[in-house]
Amino acid sequence: MNTAEKLEKSKMENTIPTKDRIIAWPRMGRIDIPLKALLLSLGAKIVIPPANSNEALEIGVRNSIEGICLPYKLNLANYIMALEKGANTLMMFQAPGSCRLGNYTKMAQKTLKSMGYKFDMVIFDMYKSKMKQTLQAFWHVTHCINPWRYYKGFSLGFNKFFAIDTAERLLFYTRPRELHRGDAERCYEKWLKITDETNSVIGAKRLKKQIINDFKKIPIDKNKKVPIIYLIGEFFVLLDPYTNQNIEKELGEMGVEVQRQIMFGDWLEHVLKPSLFYHKESHRERSVRYAEKYMKRAIGGECIETIGDTVYAARHGVDGIIHISPFSCMPEIVAQNILPKVSKEEDIPVMSLVLDEQTGKAGYITRIEAFVDLVKRKQQKRNNN
Amino acid sequence: MTMYKKYKQIGIPRAISYYNNYPFYYGFFTSLGLEVVLSDKTTTKTINEGTKYVVSDTCLPIKVYTGHVVNLINKGCDAIFVPSIQSTGYKINNCSKIRGLPEIIRNVIDKPFTMIEPTLDKTENISFKDFCFQTANALGITDSDEIEKAISDGWKVYNAFFEMTKSGVSYTEALENAIQGKFVRKTVGIVKPLSVAIMAHGYNLFDDRISLNLIKKLEKMDVRVYTSLNVTREDSLAAIDQIGEIQYWANELELTGTAAYYLLNKKVDGIIALSAFGCGPDSLMVDEISYHCKEVGMPLIHLTIDEHTGEAGFVTRIEAFVDMLMRKKRSVLAKPSAQKQKTVKVSNVGKFEETKVLASSVK
Repeated sequence: MNTAEKLEKSKMENTIPTKDRIIAWPRMGRIDIPLKALLLSLGAKIVIPPANSNEALEIGVRNSIEGICLPYKLNLANYIMALEKGANTLMMFQAPGSCRLGNYTKMAQKTLKSMGYKFDMVIFDMYKSKMKQTLQAFWHVTHCINPWRYYKGFSLGFNKFFAIDTAERLLFYTRPRELHRGDAERCYEKWLKITDETNSVIGAKRLKKQIINDFKKIPIDKNKKVPIIYLIGEFFVLLDPYTNQNIEKELGEMGVEVQRQIMFGDWLEHVLKPSLFYHKESHRERSVRYAEKYMKRAIGGECIETIGDTVYAARHGVDGIIHISPFSCMPEIVAQNILPKVSKEEDIPVMSLVLDEQTGKAGYITRIEAFVDLVKRKQQKRNNN
Repeated sequence: MTMYKKYKQIGIPRAISYYNNYPFYYGFFTSLGLEVVLSDKTTTKTINEGTKYVVSDTCLPIKVYTGHVVNLINKGCDAIFVPSIQSTGYKINNCSKIRGLPEIIRNVIDKPFTMIEPTLDKTENISFKDFCFQTANALGITDSDEIEKAISDGWKVYNAFFEMTKSGVSYTEALENAIQGKFVRKTVGIVKPLSVAIMAHGYNLFDDRISLNLIKKLEKMDVRVYTSLNVTREDSLAAIDQIGEIQYWANELELTGTAAYYLLNKKVDGIIALSAFGCGPDSLMVDEISYHCKEVGMPLIHLTIDEHTGEAGFVTRIEAFVDMLMRKKRSVLAKPSAQKQKTVKVSNVGKFEETKVLASSVK
């Protein structure tokens, strides 16, 4: 009991008056756009740390221990950069019991305090429809009591997530088929900017349709035979283009349609929406169903999603799988051990790529190219028969 | 009454949970009327055998585990016991690789064998009793009285084992005696000049091949060794609480708990952390402890092992560490009066902080 109380207490620190709070959060892909909208509509002051880059990674590596995984190093760098820019409240979600992720915040707190920074850490659990705790965390940092602002913030945030997801999906579809190289990319960047600037609930709700219509205008070669590759693996690495060295773009330019099953908006909806209102089969449930032959229990992290997606892909005519994970990621090592058997029994090519701060781009691209060649040959062979 | 038994023997790989729970497993399975077959002790061949099956990123203990399973299959075992210990308390989870042991074994080994794979998951309300029932049911035993009796028999052996190790009997000796139903107490030994605590998982420390005989090497250097087996569960939980940490990993008692206990009661001169390369939980726990060690000035060495670890370099590091401890102790013992005088002098001036630093270095 004592430990549980201590745990609860350390979650939401309260040393800084609400008025003076300047909020920051770690970066991952595009999540800063919706989160910014949410916090601004709750009337908070925010600081957005610079996007993940070599410089950030260097700061992270310098201040963290050797054996920890890559996402932590980047998270820590984001915190440090935000604190340098004047932030004093750090927000982060955690998922106890999944993997080392549950320990990130505790470690970061200790490291940053020993570096002499003064700040409040606000941590909230998100798994298993923890809507209440999430709301509590946002109340804690803003003390906003106006329910309309909460409605506006969350609706803006969610719609922006969905808009970004839609834009990404369309980008993946259009990029290998476009007639003029760069059209899709430009369109995507344009809509990211518009999404960021949208400030009304109605405007945000319209975004999705507008994006679909705009992508339809890009001239594409509809009859082109494009191989489909599923991108699976660890959550952070999948969603952060810096960490995965923009693998989606590389693959798209090689003429491959990338599909990613982990989308932040979908995940958030599944995690936060009360199960009473969530009727469709979530990604996780589907993965558990498909992975049954190979895995009988979930073991933390995204291991079961990785296996489930591979089986799903194989049974739905996908041509290949690229599995990416950070170095020494525990759940993904288990997945790596299981994947060869899945690949053999379901007859689908799988390539595992392990990323860390030492990964060189040239070797990485060579491996991807070789894999794409293999997939394309396999597709041709199938078409000829 | 003789019942029909599906299996006559059960194979237990001499790795991972063997080192923590084997006395219980032995009592439990023997009471159920099964013959317990152990794999051979870890050798380089075991490691090589295991490495053949799993991907290279996997840590050493899992490679060893795979090697032991292969060894049992080659011995012609009917059923192999591969438990999945998911969590040992609410949201106190194990490392993913230990949680997924049956998943790894099922998918990497392509030989036919029966795997007994019970799950212990207290987060999902699957208690230890359920774990035992799952095991027995998978073996074709459904009589609940028989299983209950087996559980209590298992605890009997385990408690005898733990009582012995707590009093200072070595791991191997205690295990042998517990299995034979004997009980021995530690005879009073020679007082050794130095003592260290080792924070390590049982499966790393008590496996002579993985730990490269660390305990024996230290004892040869006249160092008294304390391990997690000398500390009770309650003590290590209290110690974790006292240094201001929260238990997050299921194996944390063996590492943070043990180190914290000896850090607080100041029985030891130094702490040795032994972990496998690429171990996720260890990277965090050792870091935590090194942070606390720095605060009180306790020497700590972190030894990392993998299948390529050379014995010579390993010994050199231990020797250097022990030499350092010895020098430190000698310098403290040589001039106690000087230290005392200095302390008094400083405190007279009123520099409280410096006094504190000095006092801690004396301890």
